[in-house]
Amino acid sequence: MHKTWNFHGGVHPTENKRQSNQQPIMVMPVPKQLVLPLNQHIGKAAKAVIEVGEYVLKGQLIASAQGFVSANIHAPSSGYINTIEDRSLPHPSALLGPCIIIDTDGKDQWIDLTPQSNPKQLPKLELLDLIQTAGITGMGGAGFPSAVKLQPKNTIHTLIINAAECEPYITADDRLIREHAEQVMAGIELLQHLLDQPHCLIGIEDNKPEAIMALNDAAQQLSGVEVCVIPTKYPSGGEKQLIEILTGQQVPHAGIPADIGMVCHNVGTVKAIADAVLLGQPLIQRITTVTGKATANAGNYQVLIGTQVSDLLAFAKVDLNQTSRLVMGGPMMGFTLQDIHTPLIKGSNCILAAADLELAPVADHHSCIRCGLCEVACPAELLPQQLFWFAKAEEFEKAQHHNLSDCIECGACAWVCPSQIPLVQYYRYAKGRVKTRNHEAQLAEHARLRFETREQRLIDEKLAKEEKRKARATAAAAAQAAKRAANPTAEDPIAAALARVNKQKYESQTAAVPLTPEDQYKELKTAAAITRTKLKKTCKALENAQSLDHEQADNLQETVALLTVKADQAQAKLQAYETKLGLDPEKEKILLVAVAKANSAVRKLEKSIANAEDPQTIEQQILEAKAIHAAATQALSDHQANPAAKPTPAQEP
Amino acid sequence: MAFLNLSSPHHHNLSKTSSIMMWVLLATIPGLLVQTYFYGYGTLINLIWASVLAVALEAIVLRLRRRPIRPHIADGSALVTAFLLALALPPFSPWWLTLVAVLFAIVFAKHLYGGLGNNPFNPAMVGYALCLIAFPVSMTQWASPEITLSLGQQLQWFWLEQIDGGIDAWTQATPLDLMRHTKGLTLNELSSSNPQLNLGLSASGWINAAYLLGGLALLAKRVFTWHAPVAMLASLGFCAGLFHMGEPDLYPSATQHLFTGATMLAAFFIVTDPVTSATSRKGKLVFGAGVGILVFIIRSYGSYPDAFAFAILLMNLSAPLIDTYTQPKAYGHHQKHNQGDR
Repeated sequence: MHKTWNFHGGVHPTENKRQSNQQPIMVMPVPKQLVLPLNQHIGKAAKAVIEVGEYVLKGQLIASAQGFVSANIHAPSSGYINTIEDRSLPHPSALLGPCIIIDTDGKDQWIDLTPQSNPKQLPKLELLDLIQTAGITGMGGAGFPSAVKLQPKNTIHTLIINAAECEPYITADDRLIREHAEQVMAGIELLQHLLDQPHCLIGIEDNKPEAIMALNDAAQQLSGVEVCVIPTKYPSGGEKQLIEILTGQQVPHAGIPADIGMVCHNVGTVKAIADAVLLGQPLIQRITTVTGKATANAGNYQVLIGTQVSDLLAFAKVDLNQTSRLVMGGPMMGFTLQDIHTPLIKGSNCILAAADLELAPVADHHSCIRCGLCEVACPAELLPQQLFWFAKAEEFEKAQHHNLSDCIECGACAWVCPSQIPLVQYYRYAKGRVKTRNHEAQLAEHARLRFETREQRLIDEKLAKEEKRKARATAAAAAQAAKRAANPTAEDPIAAALARVNKQKYESQTAAVPLTPEDQYKELKTAAAITRTKLKKTCKALENAQSLDHEQADNLQETVALLTVKADQAQAKLQAYETKLGLDPEKEKILLVAVAKANSAVRKLEKSIANAEDPQTIEQQILEAKAIHAAATQALSDHQANPAAKPTPAQEP
Repeated sequence: MAFLNLSSPHHHNLSKTSSIMMWVLLATIPGLLVQTYFYGYGTLINLIWASVLAVALEAIVLRLRRRPIRPHIADGSALVTAFLLALALPPFSPWWLTLVAVLFAIVFAKHLYGGLGNNPFNPAMVGYALCLIAFPVSMTQWASPEITLSLGQQLQWFWLEQIDGGIDAWTQATPLDLMRHTKGLTLNELSSSNPQLNLGLSASGWINAAYLLGGLALLAKRVFTWHAPVAMLASLGFCAGLFHMGEPDLYPSATQHLFTGATMLAAFFIVTDPVTSATSRKGKLVFGAGVGILVFIIRSYGSYPDAFAFAILLMNLSAPLIDTYTQPKAYGHHQKHNQGDR
């Protein structure tokens, strides 16, 4: 007898197994329609590989696994693909999801199967492939793709077969063992072969004596397989709890059994693996318990995956008027169905059609008095009452600190709660919120990183630009300096070119229309003024640019240099022309001043005449002054008419 | 056809808070009877009066708080508070003393904090401590186990505070009081010189034994776990035994400590109050041990005859702190288990 350990907590709900475990497994006939959800397992949904209207044979692949953690889906019976559409899934929220709908033709015609008579001769990878292709997932309820668990990174020293079936009411595994113990053993043999002969422990609760006997009989032929009878206590069938019962070890927090060298498979899964390898049959059927007081023919049924609950209930003669609560799974962890046409999937082990007062009535819950009964019952060794207060107060940090994530939602706490608080619902809520919050935090962190990277990139770009500009400026200055050093007398080539252009322009103009000397003079004057103004403007712009440290400053500097040269040239030309004409630009000014002086002398005299003692003398003086003014005006107009003429000396008064 | 849409589990063991409270009330009966036998009808009158007051006050406050009255009254928590107060108050309590205690317990200690489940302090102990501080004389008038008053006399005192020959003729100090004020005598000398002490000791011994019986019944019914009461009795017994071994003339023995005063009543009916004690089992051990030590200290060196109200209120204060440091390791967090070949 293998030594067993105890796990913390646990409860003893009424078993209610006898209603369904007394009759042999009944085979349900092929229903008219099958509904196959593309996602019946943990992991990525499978992808449909058939066309609507296509005829499929029983066992034909209709949806293929996507990625490592996913599973194939096969047609459970022959018929035509009706459609692929969203139907309500077996999920607590009655969520809709894509399903393949098959209209069966009743022939139930198999595809060609390739049974392996001697699978141990096959290479292990090929054997694994057979299991993977058959679309086998955990049949105890969770639905994890089985092949993944058969490729562990660690050495497996213990293979644990879960035959505990601790949930009340469910007897599917019980009947399966009683009737197919040989096939279960064949499956165990395959798993042992695949995992390099680990020791195998089969955990089964002591409330199934017939099944224990069947297992013991079958196990005699095998070495390294022990049937361990464990005390009936819910939830001994929880993977972690069963491992502790059988080995005394605990799966580390956030770890998997393979971390401690163990792997755990449900007994139904093991049988399905044997069927897949030895008979070549993919996973298209399972055994499901139909029970509850509203069921006339309570018992276990061999059903095709995809059978709608309504068909199964009709076959088991469930009186829907009597039932107020339809539970898929057991009363402790199952979920209520809203849509009676929900399909059965690979993990559907039980349909409980409960009469009105069979299950716990909907009660108003009272205040938590921290009685601690939940703590005594909790198999995860948590403080459920504290988790409840934290979830209620939305203190999710504290809830996490109290290991909310280790809660397996077995419902033992809520089962014992005298205040009838729906504790598991609070934990699910808190877990959901924690998940959402973590997701949001991740998104926020991602956004922050993106923003910071962008900012840094912009700063880097700006710095690089600045560097480049400085390098360019230094290079230009150096080149200029080198040029100057090589040929100090050389004229600025641009200025020279411009001058040439101007000269040509000028020459062509003068050639076309010979200008009078006056016009030429005027033109030169204007040209000199324009260059001066331009220079002034550019200087101002340069100043501005320098004060702002603008990139244009360099260019402006060059322009200023250019304009300075130009302005000087223009001025020089003007002066040269003036000297050529013999013009004195000061002359006109002098004459103008003389005129103005004479004019003001006349005005003065005219003003003073009113107060003068001797008006005649002053009148005389006025006349003289007027004469001077007239002479000056004459000289000025003469000069303006002919600037080249010899100036008339201004007469002194 | 609409089916119920509910979250798992769909099963329940159908236990109720009210049945827990009912068991607690039933378990007080042996103690109540023995106490009545020794100290007369006072305790019974107290009990009825306190119960009426507690239920009435609970109903009034629930109405003021706009909470459903019937289910909250039916949970029986107000009655438990009333019972505990009635048993703890002296048999010679006048009507107003009980009124003050119950009023303070139900209205202030319980409902002002949010009602059942939300009160940080044990309501009965808050009411008791308030009266002990405010009305020390009334709170120490314990009946003499030798004399039994008629129901009429008892009621007269209860209602009018009048009694033939004055109250002092009918009351006597409790054994704990006598042992504390030894007037320089050793405990042995005191015992031989004062027959009242022996009488008192034997009466309170019987009463404590009756409460112990009730407590064991609750333990058997799994109304609470053994941790808090056992830790409390063990720590009190240990402290008392240690000091008694050192100075037997000055310190009463462990047995005397365990079977006088309100030791057993407190151990099984008050320390076990889940609302106000520590949460985890480890925490309950610390909580119980703390109460035991404080009781010994206050009994030996304090100025009040018994120490439970203060010891429990002080530990109520510490409960959140204890919770912080005694959080049990969850599945998969145990070091010893994680030695697999990772």
